[in-house]
Amino acid sequence: MKPLDWVVMFGWLTFLVSYGLWRGRKSGTVSDYLLAGRTMPWYAMGLSIMATQASAITFISTTGQSYVDGMRFVQFYFGLPVAMVILSATAVPIFHRAKVYTAYEYLENRFDAKTRALVSGIFLIQRGLAAGLALYAPAVVLSVILGWSDQTTTILMGSLVVIYTTTGGIKAITWADVQQMAVIFVALILALFMAIHLMPEQVSFFDAVTLAGAFGKLKAVDTHFDWNNRYNIWSGLIGGMFLALAYFGCDQSQVQRYLTGKSVAQSRLSLLFNAMAKIPMQFFILFIGAMVFVLFMFVKPPVIFHPVEMERAAQSTEFKPVGDRYNAAFEARKQAAQHYLDAKHRGATSPADLEELRSSQREFDSARQDGAKLVDKARGSKGFNDTNYIFLSFVTNYLPAGVVGLIIAVIFSAAMSAVSGEINSLATVTVIDVYKRHFQKSGTDRHYLWASRIATAFWGVYAVVFAGRGGGFGALIEAVNMIGSLFYGGMLGVFVLAFFFPKVGANGAFAGVLAGEAAIFAANHFTNISFLWYNVIGCLVVLATGVLVSKFEPAKYPG
Amino acid sequence: MNQPGEPPPFLGTWKRVYTAVLTYVVVLISVLYVFSVATAP
Repeated sequence: MKPLDWVVMFGWLTFLVSYGLWRGRKSGTVSDYLLAGRTMPWYAMGLSIMATQASAITFISTTGQSYVDGMRFVQFYFGLPVAMVILSATAVPIFHRAKVYTAYEYLENRFDAKTRALVSGIFLIQRGLAAGLALYAPAVVLSVILGWSDQTTTILMGSLVVIYTTTGGIKAITWADVQQMAVIFVALILALFMAIHLMPEQVSFFDAVTLAGAFGKLKAVDTHFDWNNRYNIWSGLIGGMFLALAYFGCDQSQVQRYLTGKSVAQSRLSLLFNAMAKIPMQFFILFIGAMVFVLFMFVKPPVIFHPVEMERAAQSTEFKPVGDRYNAAFEARKQAAQHYLDAKHRGATSPADLEELRSSQREFDSARQDGAKLVDKARGSKGFNDTNYIFLSFVTNYLPAGVVGLIIAVIFSAAMSAVSGEINSLATVTVIDVYKRHFQKSGTDRHYLWASRIATAFWGVYAVVFAGRGGGFGALIEAVNMIGSLFYGGMLGVFVLAFFFPKVGANGAFAGVLAGEAAIFAANHFTNISFLWYNVIGCLVVLATGVLVSKFEPAKYPG
Repeated sequence: MNQPGEPPPFLGTWKRVYTAVLTYVVVLISVLYVFSVATAP
């Protein structure tokens, strides 16, 4: 990074943290600290919800995923708007009426203490794991840029997040998110503009789209149904809807956001804003990855995108033949691409042109695999994956001074936002659902405020420790969604029982959650069913078990 | 705090707002499908 990049990066981060702390300076009560005194307008909640999801993982991993796998990942979000509508009509008014701090508090009102304890425990495990991953992603960024170890960067990042979150509470987090989203949009537009601008003169934007399409990178909708296919329109609409229902309806990190709303209408509008904006935003991010793929057809990328591993591999005596093969494969693919475009301009493309193009890509991929094997050999491991370094390689090697700093700052602050929101919600559940409910029922407001701050610091430290294991996962975003899918089905099922099955009692709900989780883990362990379907399976098993058990033991107070 | 029955700031009722959002999603997915087909070789 150049001096201007450092100035931009630290300037933005300083402003962001200062602004957040300033907005959160009056968080003197538990209600202020955890729910912003229920005063938030819809746009602040909506942008904050988007910012929490648009974590550093989104920038690092989604773009890389599009580069490797195309844009089909966008289908994952197709069910989200439907879920937002359902939640606006059901969960939002119910939670608001109940005046709860956490979604799990409502479960005790509806069922009993053990159901609340079970579901809040599941949340603590699941969100605790995700918080660690969300912290690991930006640590990767900074370790690459600064030449530090992942662990050092993780600790530094985590410390900053803990200070920021512990001091300001949710008001600080939310208002900082609003600023952050504005800069995220600017950074995304700049990244796409630069990817297109850096292409050779003879390659227009439409040529780039043609090439990306020829490789299937722009196939955003796949209508073919397959249980084992992770991303198609059906898994996106049904599985994605269930996941979004669970995430926004049962995950405290999201529920807490719209509980800060000053009215039901404001909370509803914040969710509907997400319903409208999420798919276009994800499409845009994935499109950047596809354009970077095309750019790297004409501008030679490194054999290995991980700069440290690349440097190490280059020093190996076995690297020369790998490098030679890679260089030849790059030139052959470049020529095939140019040949394909020329034919396209003449309106005379043939199946042979397309086959030449795809065959050159296969050779290129194979040459890159040789490089990956060298890394595996040097590390003594298998399955080296540099997907998470593709976007970073593009940013740091090809973007101008200042823009690099801005994008790194965005990734950094996105991580801060996501992690701070997560540890804030973890702390809320720890204090409200565990500490206040089971250990100290009659403390003062000041006592719980300090308990919340201590819990926030605890979860921050926990996330840092867990983040040390993040490198074992592949594309990070899938890992996060995967973890969510192992637990969300059971959580969603119990809330559906609570909202829509008045005859189901506490024991039915409790048994349902256990059975639902058992079904999900069995599906994960014994079948190849895509993880997006776990929520559907888990939720349905919870409902069936809950209803069945309640036939023998109906609710004491139906409804 | 306002009551759950508070109307939306536009379109008059929440039912209409929800219908508009769902219609938008159908149109958006259709556009993406056309985009996928149009950019395929």
